[in-house]
Amino acid sequence: MPAQTDSILIIEDDPETAAAIACEVRALGCTATIVPTLPEGIALSAQDFRVIVLDRMLPGGDGVEAIAKMRSHGARAMILVLSALGRAANRVEGLEKGADDYLPKPFEPEELRARLRALLRRATMQGQDNDLLVFGALEIRMKARTVHINRAHVAVSPKEFELITYFAQNAGQIVTRMQLLENVWHLHFDPGTNVVDVHVGRLRRKLEETGSQAIQTARGEGYIFAPLPPP
Amino acid sequence: MIARSTLKLAATMALAISLLSLLAMALQYRLVESRLTDATKAALSADLAGYSALYQQRRIIALRQAITDRANTGSELLLLQDRNHIRLAGAEADWPAEIQPQGTNFSSTQAQRFTHQGTEWLGVARTLPGGFPLLVARSLAPVESTLASLRKGMAALSLVLIAAGALIGTLAAKSVMTRITRLNNVADQVASGDLTARLPGPRSLDEFGLLETHVHAMLDRIENLNRATHRLSDTIAHELRTPLNRMMQKLALIEGQPTLAADLKAEMRNAIRVFDSLLDISRAEADQGSGGGLLPVDLSAVAAEVWDLYEPLAEDKGLLCTLQTTPDLHILGDRNLIAQMLANLIDNAIKYCSAGDTLTLTLCQTPEHHRLTLSDTGPGLPPDLRDAAFERFTRAPRDQVRGIKGHGLGLALVRAIAARHGAKLTLPEVENGLTVEMLWPKLMG
Repeated sequence: MPAQTDSILIIEDDPETAAAIACEVRALGCTATIVPTLPEGIALSAQDFRVIVLDRMLPGGDGVEAIAKMRSHGARAMILVLSALGRAANRVEGLEKGADDYLPKPFEPEELRARLRALLRRATMQGQDNDLLVFGALEIRMKARTVHINRAHVAVSPKEFELITYFAQNAGQIVTRMQLLENVWHLHFDPGTNVVDVHVGRLRRKLEETGSQAIQTARGEGYIFAPLPPP
Repeated sequence: MIARSTLKLAATMALAISLLSLLAMALQYRLVESRLTDATKAALSADLAGYSALYQQRRIIALRQAITDRANTGSELLLLQDRNHIRLAGAEADWPAEIQPQGTNFSSTQAQRFTHQGTEWLGVARTLPGGFPLLVARSLAPVESTLASLRKGMAALSLVLIAAGALIGTLAAKSVMTRITRLNNVADQVASGDLTARLPGPRSLDEFGLLETHVHAMLDRIENLNRATHRLSDTIAHELRTPLNRMMQKLALIEGQPTLAADLKAEMRNAIRVFDSLLDISRAEADQGSGGGLLPVDLSAVAAEVWDLYEPLAEDKGLLCTLQTTPDLHILGDRNLIAQMLANLIDNAIKYCSAGDTLTLTLCQTPEHHRLTLSDTGPGLPPDLRDAAFERFTRAPRDQVRGIKGHGLGLALVRAIAARHGAKLTLPEVENGLTVEMLWPKLMG
C-alpha cells in the first residue's frame, strides 16, 4: 500500500471534477494538491509528487503539450492524463507525448482508482527486474515465459502469459477491462463488447483446473489477482 | 522537365515568324529574279537593235565585221553562218543544237531560254534573208549566281531564325517551369498533409506573383478551416464529456440501486461510442488522401493481433474460425485505426453469425496490393442494403426485429478508415454469407 505521505498533484480547471479526483486520491490514502491552470501546474510539477493528474484543455494550454516542459523542469512523477479528449487518436497522441497513462472523461471512480494504484505501484517497481515472480504456490518465470502452480506446469498461450504477467504486476489490486485492453493488447479504443472477459475467463479456468483461484472478479469494476498463500 | 505547353507555344511562334520571313524573302527573290532577267532582256534588245542598224546599212558584211570585232567575254554567244551553215563570224564553231532559227527580223520579242555547254542563255536565232542563220544570246550565268547567293543567304537566315526561336522558346519554358515547379512543390506538400507549407521568398510583380498570392490566400483559408474543424470537435468533446463526467461522479454516489446505475453507465458509454465513431469518421474522411500521420505498419501483425483478441469470443459462440495470413506485409498506416477497423468488422461478423457458421480472415499478396478478406457464412446483407451498407446509420430492419444492437456506424467507420489509407473496399458477390474485401496499397521499398 502507498505510504501516507504520498502526494498527488491534480491539474484540473473544472472544480467538480477536481473535487471528485481529490476524493479518490484521498481514498487511496494520498494527499491531493489541486491547481486550476497549466502554468501553476508546471511550476509545481518539480515538487515531490508521486503522480500528476493532468487535464488537457486547460486555461494556459494543452496539458499534453506541457509534459515535456514539466519533465525538463525536473518533474519525476508519473503522469496520468485525464481528459475530455478521449478518442483513440487523442489517447495515442497523449501516450506518444510522454503520458504514463491516459484516461478519458467521463471516468468511473473505480477506473481512476485502479489507474492511480497502478501508477503508484509502477513508480515503486521501476528498476526491479525479477525473472521469477512467486505468489505462494503460483510461479511465473519471465524469461522462460512459463507458469507453474504447485510445480505443475500450466500451458498458457503467449497472450495469456502477457495477461497473467500484467495481473501479477498489479497483484492485490483491481485491474479494469480497459486497462487490460490498453496494456496487454495495446489497443486504445472501446470495442463495445466484452472481448477481454473471454480471455480472462479462459486463463482463469486454466488456473482453476490446476488448483489456483488467483483471478477473481471485482463486481462492476474488473478483476483482481489475489493468489492465496500456500496452505 | 520542361513546360511542354510553353515550349509548344514558343515553337509555334518561332515557326510562324520563320514562315512569314521565308514568304517575304521568297517575294523579294521573285522580284530580284525578274529584274535581273529583264535587264538581260534589255541588253539583248540593245544588241539586236545595234546589229539591226548595221544590217540596214551594209547587210551581212557589216554584221560579220561587227561580230568578229566583238571581244569574246563569255557573256555573249554570237554566231553568223552562210547558207551552207559555214561559220562566217562568232566564237562557236557549230550551230548549237538547243535552239533553232525562227523568223527573219531583229526583234527581241521571242527571245528563248536555252542551255548550252552548261550555261543558261537568253537569245534569239534568226535566218536572215538569203539563208544566213544568226544567233545572238546573252548569258544568264550572272543572274543565276546572284540568285544562288541570295538563296544561300536566305537559307542561312532561316536557320538562324529557327534556332533563335527554339532558344527563346526553351528559355521561356524553363523560366515558366521553375515558377510552376515552385507552386507544384507547395501543392504536393499540402496534399501530403502539411497545410502550413508556403512559398519561400518574395512575390514578383507579375501574373505569377499574383497567382502565388492567390494560392497563399487559399492555403491560409484551408488551414484556418481545418484548424477550426479540429477545434470544433475538441470543443464538442469537452462540452459533452465534462457534464457527462459530472453525471458519472454523481452516479457513483447513488447507493442501493446497482442495476440502475450500471444501466445508466452503459447508456453513457454507448452514447460516447456513437459520438466518438462520428468524430472518428469525420476525421478519417477529412484526412483522406493525405499521407500525413501515417507510418509503416505490419498489416499481418495487426490483423493477427486483432484476430487473436476476437477468436475466443467467436469460438465461444460456436463459430469455426480460420486465420490465413502471409507474414510481413507492410503498409503505410495508422496502427490504432486499422485495429479499430478490423475489430469493427470481426465484431460485426461475430454478432450476425450463429453457431456452426465459419469465419475466415485471409491476408495475402497480389502483384499490386495486399488483399485482406473477411468471409463469414452468416445471413449476409439483405440485397436492398448492399449499396447503403457503408453509409452512416444504415441498419437492417430485421436486426431491429431480432434485437441485434448497434447504431449503424461500424461499417461507415470501416469505410472511412479504408479510404483514409487509400484501401479499396468492396463486397464481392458470394453464394452465402458476407465477404468484405480490402485492397491495400503496398508499402514500397
